[in-house]
Amino acid sequence: MQPRAFSILMLACLLLLQSPRLMADGSVIDKVYHPYVEQLEWELEWRATLADEDPPSGEERLQLHRLGLGRAVSEYVFVEAYLIGEQSAGEGLGLEAYEIEMLWQLSEQGEHIVDYGLLFELEKEHNRDIWEASTAVLLEKEFGRFSATANLGLTFEGGSDIADEWETALALQGRYRYSPRFEPALEMYSGEDTLGAGPVLLGLERLGPLSALKWQAGVIFGLDDTTADYTVRALLEYEF
Amino acid sequence: MTGLLLGAGALQAKTPIFEIEIRDHLFHPEELRIPADTKVKLVVYNRDSTPEEFESYELNREKVIMGGRKANIFIGPLKSGVYPFFGEFNPKTAQGRVVVE
Repeated sequence: MQPRAFSILMLACLLLLQSPRLMADGSVIDKVYHPYVEQLEWELEWRATLADEDPPSGEERLQLHRLGLGRAVSEYVFVEAYLIGEQSAGEGLGLEAYEIEMLWQLSEQGEHIVDYGLLFELEKEHNRDIWEASTAVLLEKEFGRFSATANLGLTFEGGSDIADEWETALALQGRYRYSPRFEPALEMYSGEDTLGAGPVLLGLERLGPLSALKWQAGVIFGLDDTTADYTVRALLEYEF
Repeated sequence: MTGLLLGAGALQAKTPIFEIEIRDHLFHPEELRIPADTKVKLVVYNRDSTPEEFESYELNREKVIMGGRKANIFIGPLKSGVYPFFGEFNPKTAQGRVVVE
């Protein structure tokens, strides 16, 4: 990637951080995507967030669960479908939305100054005419045993049950590749109702050829009045 | 894919190229010597009819190579040392190392 293009992307990151009125509704704390596809891979994924309190809605112990099944359909394209459930202190777990996403790896790892890819997502809320179409630029750069990753997202939200709206989001991760089972990381998330950062642990256990169990767990601390004081996030992923 | 980036061709022209073959679920050669502090391109040919995955945590790379196909894997710049790699589909036999010197 040319230095000028890299500078423009970094400037875009800074603008996303500086323009909170433009950013996404609700918490954007979820996970950080990496711009790579592993050919032949299937993936069964569960990930969840638990926020102690969601300041904009007042909901307490708000949980979001995603259950996904994905598959690499080519050397560079991975698709995954999700069911999304929600639960809070006052309500039981219920189906909230459906989502399909596609990750497109656009560069070979290590070929250019930054590895890059694109993520496309389409989400439909259950029983409501609310659609969300998102795209994100995924960037990753390796510095020895450190890896830095950025997700720059742009979302259009529309439908008869919601006013049309454009939203943006940013997620950053700095990871130290200590060992396959133990990779400490720091993550930062930014959106209209989110500004948070915190530590995350990542790991992987190989179970056999193209078979592995990955996990992630962390706590993201709110850095402004609209972000939950803390959000616990967890991920379990079975690759086969 | 490389055409998506302006100047990528010029960058690649300066990148040393090394070749590895996978035959009978073994890497040939098993040991590859590359210069320190230099990005290199590994061209991995899979001569077997079944897929294999070049994998190395130390090199931070994993790449599936389908049977009868080849793949380009970019590694480095690296400090001097030994960086093991293996074939994930045949980890007991398909083993190798990159020696950076």
